[in-house]
Amino acid sequence: MFKRILSVILSVLLITTLFASCGKKEEQKRILKVAALSSGYEETKPGMWKEICDAFTRKTGIETQLTLEKNLEDVIGSSMQGGDYPDVVLLATGREAGLTEQFIQDKNLVELTDVLNMQIPGEDVKVSEKLAGGFTESVATNPYGDGKTYLMPMFYSPCGLFYNQGLFKQKGWEVPKTWDQMWELGEKAKKEGIALFTYPTTGYFDSFCFALMYAVGGPEFFDKATNYEQGVWETNDGKTFIDIMAKLASYTNKKTPSQANDQDFSKNQLMVMQNEALFMPNGTWVVGEMADAVAAEGFEWGMTALPAVKEGGDAYSYTWMEQIWIPKGAKNAADAKTFISYMYSDEAAKIFAERNAVQPIKDISKILSEDNKLFYSIYDGGAKAAIGNFAAYKATAGLGTPADYFFAPINSLVSGNITKEQYVKDIITATDKMRENLIKK
Amino acid sequence: MKKQKSLARFITFCIVPATLLFFIFMVYPTIAVFRMAFFERGAYSPTETFVGVENFKVLLSDPRFIRSAQNTIFLIVFVTIFTFVFALFFAGVLTKEKIFGTNFFRIIFYIPNILSVVVISGVFSAIYDNKNGLFNSLLSVLSSRQVSVLWKSEENVVLSITIAMVWQAIGYYMVMYMASMSSIPVSLYESAGLDGANRAVQFFKITIPLIWTNIRTTLTFFIISTINMAFLFVKAMTAGGPNGASEVVLSFMYSQKDAGLYGYSMAAGVVIFLFSFALSALVNRITKRDALQF
Repeated sequence: MFKRILSVILSVLLITTLFASCGKKEEQKRILKVAALSSGYEETKPGMWKEICDAFTRKTGIETQLTLEKNLEDVIGSSMQGGDYPDVVLLATGREAGLTEQFIQDKNLVELTDVLNMQIPGEDVKVSEKLAGGFTESVATNPYGDGKTYLMPMFYSPCGLFYNQGLFKQKGWEVPKTWDQMWELGEKAKKEGIALFTYPTTGYFDSFCFALMYAVGGPEFFDKATNYEQGVWETNDGKTFIDIMAKLASYTNKKTPSQANDQDFSKNQLMVMQNEALFMPNGTWVVGEMADAVAAEGFEWGMTALPAVKEGGDAYSYTWMEQIWIPKGAKNAADAKTFISYMYSDEAAKIFAERNAVQPIKDISKILSEDNKLFYSIYDGGAKAAIGNFAAYKATAGLGTPADYFFAPINSLVSGNITKEQYVKDIITATDKMRENLIKK
Repeated sequence: MKKQKSLARFITFCIVPATLLFFIFMVYPTIAVFRMAFFERGAYSPTETFVGVENFKVLLSDPRFIRSAQNTIFLIVFVTIFTFVFALFFAGVLTKEKIFGTNFFRIIFYIPNILSVVVISGVFSAIYDNKNGLFNSLLSVLSSRQVSVLWKSEENVVLSITIAMVWQAIGYYMVMYMASMSSIPVSLYESAGLDGANRAVQFFKITIPLIWTNIRTTLTFFIISTINMAFLFVKAMTAGGPNGASEVVLSFMYSQKDAGLYGYSMAAGVVIFLFSFALSALVNRITKRDALQF
């Protein structure tokens, strides 16, 4: 008898434990669920987001619950599929998992235009008055091109070509101002056994290509190209763009593609530090990332904007930025908006700046570190800021992402497995389909 | 009679939890995969549209999928052949030959199997290094000139993954073969030796036939584990690059999910499922022999 009762109890226990984890009730207290990507900034000096959340709670009395992960997509992705959404998410577009892009494609974001008119907690200015100019005007924040903001700009970083200043001084070389000078330098460097160019992974070409589009044909060409306009690659500007890409590929260190993966990309970055290649596209974070690497003697980081196409033309530097947004499934969107407006407060900006994370607000340069002051002054030196992204289109089976056609094949261009003609042909075929699937206003 | 009834109840109670788990986490998701393959939806959007077999049509003409399928088949064939030959050879040597440090080698061969794939890909990143890597240095010494093979370039990357996968798998299969080899009675080899059979003949005429059941099981393992492990290796070592040259079917499926094409990625899942099922069945059928016993 005893055995039987015991067995029944045990099996009941087994079954109930099955469902135990499913039934946990959410607490009714007003808690703001914040999900943020743990990026290089967090590594510089851990505790950034914790400090932000604590400071926010002190200021507004709203309790927060922070999810901070390096693989944020994997962590919040599955719970969101189960219907459990964070209230506010810091996760930029352009990441491999493309989670933010999917929310844009599915029109699954809460509109944030009204946040611009909100007062920053603890300050008597509106968000729009505090934001630096130009940050909420591109597809990066207004993905549907209808003037409505769905993602707010966060940490920005000028991207450009990074090089070894020491080497240039030593050899007496000038940093090229035009692409023609660039090719001349390429020939000079070749004689010394140095390649002109390398790149960490093809993913880094986003900042490069966007800046190049601006340099080639200004904002007009950029808009046409990123909206996949018909025939844009047959125009003179389009041809110039492709020509520069292909020529640059021929000047790229041949080892680059075999190391252009998440595992070995730092070996490519090391090429610049050890004088195996002159330039690479990158962002300001590379300085911290490669701080422990052994560099060539006299090495010193330098950064320049993309050269102009013609003498006297504009040089451009792409502004890379992260985004913060609210998923439609958020239960606490009102508090989430307050949280976003708090991101632009002096208090928050200071906590971020301690980790070299720079908020796009006016007068930010006052609180920057010396290294960063140099990089962020790139726009003072005459380079224009390039901002924006590829326009969103409906995900279509067999089509892939713009990166699959614009950036990834550069590996094959460098190794000579595809020709320039093939490269542009694939781009035209793909962008034709992308244009058909553009998400309409 | 009453006792039998209570026994039946007891058994039911014992089986229910496992059955429930199995249905919730295995059967239901598998069915869901097949269902979703006929729909198009984003991973996070609740709306879905029925598209029929459209996903499969596009899939079978998608050059990226075809390339990834080619890579997968290449890996299944070559990883299986090399792992099989090496594992069998080492197992034979370690069980039958009296060499110094048998246990030591057994451990050495098994170690790669307990390492995480991320660690292995780190190790091989160093081995494949262009300048100071083990392979290029070794080749330079052997050919007495500076060899600089780009191991992870478009041409070589699948080969490089094959090498890493074989290195990782040998130990596991070796231990499996050793287990069944050591149960073969020594008397068989002794009498064969008296009849004049040399070691090679003994290996092919006695060892292989007697462990044949074991070999058949491992062949199915090879197929399933190569498909799965290839994903891990590719993810950690190359992320499918350069320019998709090392993409395998599962990493293709995964990347389509990231592109917001959940249904399309499930269609790829269905094709992989059917393919691995069919291949396992085929291998099982053509390797069927009457079981020998000693």
